[in-house]
Amino acid sequence: MSLLGGGILKGMAVTLRNFVGSYFDRDRLTTNDYAWRAGDSLPQHAGEYPKEEGEQLRDTTTVSQYSRNFPMLLHDEGEAMDTIRCVACQICERECPPQCIYIEKSTEKMERGGNKAQFYPAKFDIDVSVCMSCQICVEVCPFDAIVMNSQFELSTSNRFGGLLLRRDDLLKSNGYYHKIHPEEAAARDRRMAEEKAAKEAKKKAAAEAARKKAEEKAKAEAEADDKKQEDTQ
Amino acid sequence: MSPDLVRDILIATVPLMVIFPTLFAFTTWLERKALARIQNRIGPNKVGVPLTRYGGRFSLFGLGQPLADGIKMLFKENIVPRDADRLFHLLAPILALIPAMLVLCFLPIEFPWTESLLPVQAFLLDGAVIFFFAITGLNTLAIFMAGWASRNKYSLLGGMRAIAQMVSYEIPLVLSAVVVVMMVGSLNAAEIANAQAGWNWFVFTPWGLAAFVIFFIASLAETNRSPFDLPEAESEIIAGYFTEYSGFKFALFFLGEYIAMFAISGLAVTLFLGGGAGPGIATLPWLSAMWFIAKIFALIAVMIWLRGTLPRLRVDQLMGFAWKFLLPLSILNILVAGFAHFIPQENIVSKVAVWVVSLGILYMAAKGLNQLNRPNVRPRDYKYAE
Amino acid sequence: MNEEIAFWMLSAIAVLGALVAVRKRNLIHGVFALMVFFAGLAGLFLLLLAEFIAAAQILVYIGAVGILLLFAIMLTERVAGDDGRRMTSRGWFWGLVAAVAVFVVLLLPPIQQFPSPEHARAIEPSVKELGEKLMHPYVVTLEVLALLLTAALIGAVTAAQGVRMPKEEDSPE
Ligand code: SF4
Ligand code: SF4
Repeated sequence: MSLLGGGILKGMAVTLRNFVGSYFDRDRLTTNDYAWRAGDSLPQHAGEYPKEEGEQLRDTTTVSQYSRNFPMLLHDEGEAMDTIRCVACQICERECPPQCIYIEKSTEKMERGGNKAQFYPAKFDIDVSVCMSCQICVEVCPFDAIVMNSQFELSTSNRFGGLLLRRDDLLKSNGYYHKIHPEEAAARDRRMAEEKAAKEAKKKAAAEAARKKAEEKAKAEAEADDKKQEDTQ
Repeated sequence: MSPDLVRDILIATVPLMVIFPTLFAFTTWLERKALARIQNRIGPNKVGVPLTRYGGRFSLFGLGQPLADGIKMLFKENIVPRDADRLFHLLAPILALIPAMLVLCFLPIEFPWTESLLPVQAFLLDGAVIFFFAITGLNTLAIFMAGWASRNKYSLLGGMRAIAQMVSYEIPLVLSAVVVVMMVGSLNAAEIANAQAGWNWFVFTPWGLAAFVIFFIASLAETNRSPFDLPEAESEIIAGYFTEYSGFKFALFFLGEYIAMFAISGLAVTLFLGGGAGPGIATLPWLSAMWFIAKIFALIAVMIWLRGTLPRLRVDQLMGFAWKFLLPLSILNILVAGFAHFIPQENIVSKVAVWVVSLGILYMAAKGLNQLNRPNVRPRDYKYAE
Repeated sequence: MNEEIAFWMLSAIAVLGALVAVRKRNLIHGVFALMVFFAGLAGLFLLLLAEFIAAAQILVYIGAVGILLLFAIMLTERVAGDDGRRMTSRGWFWGLVAAVAVFVVLLLPPIQQFPSPEHARAIEPSVKELGEKLMHPYVVTLEVLALLLTAALIGAVTAAQGVRMPKEEDSPE
């Protein structure tokens, strides 16, 4: 027979332990205190934030690599617009729950990186005041063209235009992606390479099969011809 | 009106209107800080000495945060939905604040400067406790008004939930207070507090302890605190009745809610925790007010702690808990209190016996009610899956 | 003097609340105006040093009856009311006569008695006294009030039934 309300007391004990523990055990803390002074011992994932005026704002590479806030567009090595991965298929626009992506497809196709010529986004806006950082756009993109950024210094004096990120604000290189989210980027690259290899292998196999088939057909035809000749003889 | 009377009334009321909003500001900081620590976060710690750029080296644990919040609230845009009832949308936050502020007068806090003007103190009214309950009930109307005026389904749902919840929990709340009123034989708040002078707090009696627990639980529900915060459940109905409120109107709601928390905790202190009684008040009378406020804060701290601990109830659980558990228990407690009162308690043995027997009865009843209310679920047997 | 100011203010609030409650087409506004009236009444009770009745007035009428009304209204259609329809009807003259008559009957016993304030203070508010007063000088008032409530009840039932549509065979071809 359990004590009535015992569960509540047990829960309260847990929260009390956390409450007290968070004052003594820094590794418990799940978030970083921006203001920890240099020289203090920091937990592994902690970053630093400038406290004094004039100090440089911290860049996104110092945030935990698991943090994310708003999406960005990826391009491969080279000139940003020449190597943009996005093909303006507008899947993400359709899937975004709060409908904060706006895409305008280009009118003509563009060649890039040895691939087939494809469309590109003439306009690609994300309203980050509406975006809820759900990462669904990232999940649905079939071209690995959109991933999450962790840039957080987004404050602006204009509530509407200032929070509407344009295509050129959103374009970031794959190198930058590797810098802020190394694990995720490496995994993504590996997967892309595998997929590409698989695709190539398949292509090759398909080509091989086609060649074989053609050969067989030719052979059969040749045989048939022979037979015909024999028959007529 | 005689100028003396005006002066007395001002002295009696203005400090209440200054002290409690200040405490409110402090409490918001305390709550954010405590909840953060419970979740292993740090909480607000940047805003320090007012209006310095970064808080810098004088961040003072982020104590400037309420000020910054207040300024932000003041400057925010006041948005009224197009189809809203503009008049009621404006009136609701005001109506939510007024009763909360009003009932503070019924708390027998004896500030040093109010001693000379006791005749105008509202808590000396013969029906102070009744008035308290009557006026806190008005809060419900404000919430309904807000929910209805916003023209928003979520707001209306929140308003309806609030009414249902507050009407239900008012009954155990009042019934648990009745025990004390019965024992003291007065509805006068000052008399109730005086009856517990020294260490004769009612919470140190078996019936008082039970009544205090019931009262506290019901007061959580009355003030929409977690785990009974269904009317403003963020994850279900966004923020309930104040979904459509922004800026200063929202701040008024927020203020009203916290003042109501202070008020109802103050009543709990008056009824069960000895009012301003505490060590040292014989020599230093002003300590009495300090003790009173300290006790209020102890209760608030428990509320915050519970908020960090418990998940929200479901609507049917909420109603069931009020009607099928708290209500019978509080009625039984009245009976127990009556018996305990008439059994002579001269020596320690009879005292202990009374404690054991009354708490035993109450606990068994609670246990029984718990069993009766068990939802009828058995482990499922899967017929078709293997 | 103070009491007089307070009395007139509270009366004004109560009368205004009552008027708005009757005139408003929007039911929710009406209910809240009614509550203003109740609150004014509670204030008047307080002024008469009847604190307990004042508290009960707030507790029961605003706290319970008001909420009940709100719940009932939430279950009805067309809460906002249609402002197009005027609130006049053919029987208004007789309604006015009835209202004045009831008012006079209610007012008669106090006018007859003319209790001076000292006299009022001297009355011990006990249940026995209350009963005797109700049964002796105020008996006509009581009866009229009972009649009024009955009429209101019947009216409510009639209103709740709604307007009967004329049946097929009743309607002129
Ligand atoms: S980001 Fe991806 S999903 Fe969105 S339009 Fe570009 S290619 Fe399509
Ligand atoms: S993260 Fe979610 S909300 Fe933001 S743009 Fe992507 S899909 Fe839309």
